Amino acid sequence: MLSTNDYHSDYPNHWCPGCGNFGILDAMKSALAGLGLSPEKILIVSGIGQAAKTPHFLQCNCFHSLHGRALPIATGAKIANHHMTVLVSTGDGDCYGEGGNHFMHAIRRNIDVTVLAHNNGVYGLTKGQASPTSMEGMQTKMQPGGVIVGAFNPLAVALSLGAGFVARGFSGEGDQLSNLIQAGIRHRGFALIDILQPCVSFNRVNTHKWYKDRVVPIEENHNETDLIAALRLALGTDDRIPTGIYHRMESPSYTDRIDKLKDKPLTDHRYRPELLKALLND
Amino acid sequence: MTVDISVLIGGEAGQGIQTIGLLMARTCHRAGLYVMVINDFESRIRGGHSFIQLRISDRPVHGPTRKLHMVVALDERTYGLHQPELTEGGLVLISKDHADTMAQHHRYKMVDFGGVAKKAGSSILANTVAAGTSLALLGAPFDLFENILKSTFNQVEEKRLAQNIQAAQYGYTAAEDETFKWSWPWAVTSPKGRLVDGAQAVAFGALAGDCRFSAFYPMSPATGIIQHLVDMAQTVPLVIEQAEDEIAAVNMVIGAAFAGVRAMTATSGGGFSLMSEGLGLAAITETPIVIVNAQRPGPATGLPTRTAQADLQFVIHASQDEFPRFVFAPGTPFEAFSVTARAFELSERFQVPAIILMDQYLNDSLFVAEESFEAPETVTSYTAADDLENPVGYRRYAFTDSGISPRALPCKGPALVKVCSDEHDEEGHITEDADTRDAMVAKRFAKVAAMRKEIRPPEVIHAGSDILLVSWGSMRGAMEEAVNQLRADDINCGGVHVVDLWPFPDTALSEILEKVTQFFVVEQNQSAQLGQLIRQQTGCQYTDAVLKYNGRPMSAGEITDAIKTKLR
Repeated sequence: MLSTNDYHSDYPNHWCPGCGNFGILDAMKSALAGLGLSPEKILIVSGIGQAAKTPHFLQCNCFHSLHGRALPIATGAKIANHHMTVLVSTGDGDCYGEGGNHFMHAIRRNIDVTVLAHNNGVYGLTKGQASPTSMEGMQTKMQPGGVIVGAFNPLAVALSLGAGFVARGFSGEGDQLSNLIQAGIRHRGFALIDILQPCVSFNRVNTHKWYKDRVVPIEENHNETDLIAALRLALGTDDRIPTGIYHRMESPSYTDRIDKLKDKPLTDHRYRPELLKALLND
Repeated sequence: MTVDISVLIGGEAGQGIQTIGLLMARTCHRAGLYVMVINDFESRIRGGHSFIQLRISDRPVHGPTRKLHMVVALDERTYGLHQPELTEGGLVLISKDHADTMAQHHRYKMVDFGGVAKKAGSSILANTVAAGTSLALLGAPFDLFENILKSTFNQVEEKRLAQNIQAAQYGYTAAEDETFKWSWPWAVTSPKGRLVDGAQAVAFGALAGDCRFSAFYPMSPATGIIQHLVDMAQTVPLVIEQAEDEIAAVNMVIGAAFAGVRAMTATSGGGFSLMSEGLGLAAITETPIVIVNAQRPGPATGLPTRTAQADLQFVIHASQDEFPRFVFAPGTPFEAFSVTARAFELSERFQVPAIILMDQYLNDSLFVAEESFEAPETVTSYTAADDLENPVGYRRYAFTDSGISPRALPCKGPALVKVCSDEHDEEGHITEDADTRDAMVAKRFAKVAAMRKEIRPPEVIHAGSDILLVSWGSMRGAMEEAVNQLRADDINCGGVHVVDLWPFPDTALSEILEKVTQFFVVEQNQSAQLGQLIRQQTGCQYTDAVLKYNGRPMSAGEITDAIKTKLR
């Protein structure tokens, strides 16, 4: 049996006291332990931002890449060795801003990775500018008159692109989040878990209390396979923010669709000169 | 007798001109002749003006010529545009439809390609008719062409093959009452080598380098490389993905390489610009990747379907800060093959990115390559397997004398692999420690001494000459032909060709260049980029430069004329 201690990293943490990331990190550890996935079986790919530092703070294989580029890195790695469990640790700026195009196309590919999008509605690492998910009207040093553009709705976008697993968690609801992460990893295909979290340093609007007052678990009678019902939840009609699994529907993942990956991963093939000789003599 | 004949076939995009070129090239190649085909086309799918130019010889040919002996005009513009290039006594084959509107300064022969094609079954066979008439006038035996048609169309339905043979026959018949001044008796011997374009040679080289993954975003003129890879990927463990953009393409390649397979992407300058960010990521994470930049004129969109050699300084310096990399620029299809395989090997061995500079001319032109394309018997892996002494204490960026750290793969053993685009410590964790930063920069650059030893010296022809022409990349063939033309005119001239460009072969080039009184760089750019590099790296100043940057490949004749003017 694995415990959360098995993922403990001695590397000193960089986050602000009270950051929502701590709750997410704890939920990740308990989810991984719960699934029995030991550190050497896991690859966590991240971009740039506070969320992207996460893989330094736990035991795992890690590719801490460039701002916005975690998904293509994860896609290439998964194609090379689809036996790896690949998680992407990213933020709202990283995934929905700089990496927006990659986000759309990773969903289309249905690449089997689990995306944990730490969504705090603000840029932390660069000290407080608006992010794609900042609420309209939110004032920052860079947007002193308030944000004048509408917020990006990651769940609605993911659903409309055909994502097979779309969920929303909250950093303050650790047990639920751990379960969502487990379900996301078990899902064969692209899984998005958008995780709401406060930013204690830069987001004065969406505080822990603000979220606490609004998050509600999705009603038990919600049909996870009903895309339209999921979209209705994602688009929202009132102040409540439903948490849980919006939509879950499996279809063959990218690597499942490639015949030559059926036997073994690309990494496990050996160079065979006769194959090239046949092509050269053709 | 010596055969050196140039035939131009021109028309609108969509008229099947490339097919004519391929059929004629295959016929010449099968007969044991040397042939090369330049593809000149516009960035459009229909209309405009496209042409292919065949150079057919009984001696090796590696570059284009300006003089034409035959022009096959499938439209009016072809004749108007190319008649100045026709040698005296040259022949024009023109379609009946346009005959009235053409000036008649040359010997011409009207062939109603479309009408004849319809008789054979369909007007789309006009290109086979044109190929037939041209080959008949050159003196090619019909059965030779017929066999080429059979091997070209044997994969498709029989009816189409029969129609093509009929069209070819009509094409031959149309030539019966005409003669071509330079026709020669075709003594059919065995083919002299492989008929191959640069793009296919790169694809073969990638497989010889054990490439398992490629991601790309379509961009002329690089797409041909990926198309060849796709065509060959059925039987080999190679996965190819069309990415959403070049940024994704290079990052997918980096991800796959990190996970443990050899991987490459191919693009042109614009795509390479987008990949510059990823190039730096590969460098700081020490992930081996291969990027092919098939150059075209720019900046920005430039001339999408044309050729240039203007990205040398760019790729040597691309991406912020400094890091070691390999840069190669093959000059022939065989060099493209061997350099590509080497790029994979060296990139993995040194854990650095490798860049291959191709260009539209080399990529899209067909050549007869006499060298043997051999599949290597083995491919060495440079990754650390599960037998690491202390996997629990594994450090991806452990300091070593060589600068090369043992490279374990993620999820392939107990060692945890952490890589990071921030400056990092030996474990791969973010660091801002000044001493560690110094040590990591030094570690990356420590590789350069051994990388230099892998750089092959430039090849010299006619060493000991008074003056030298210096070329890189695809200018090799034209430069060497120019050297021979100049020598025939009693100019004591030799040639130097550089393929391995970075780390720069300073010592080898200094030794060569310090011995001559004058040297001239020959390049397809505006600012003599290799000339500048030579001056920067060796202190040797080029006498002058022969430069061309209008997007069309330089011929030996152009180089010879320019050198003679400069020497005067």
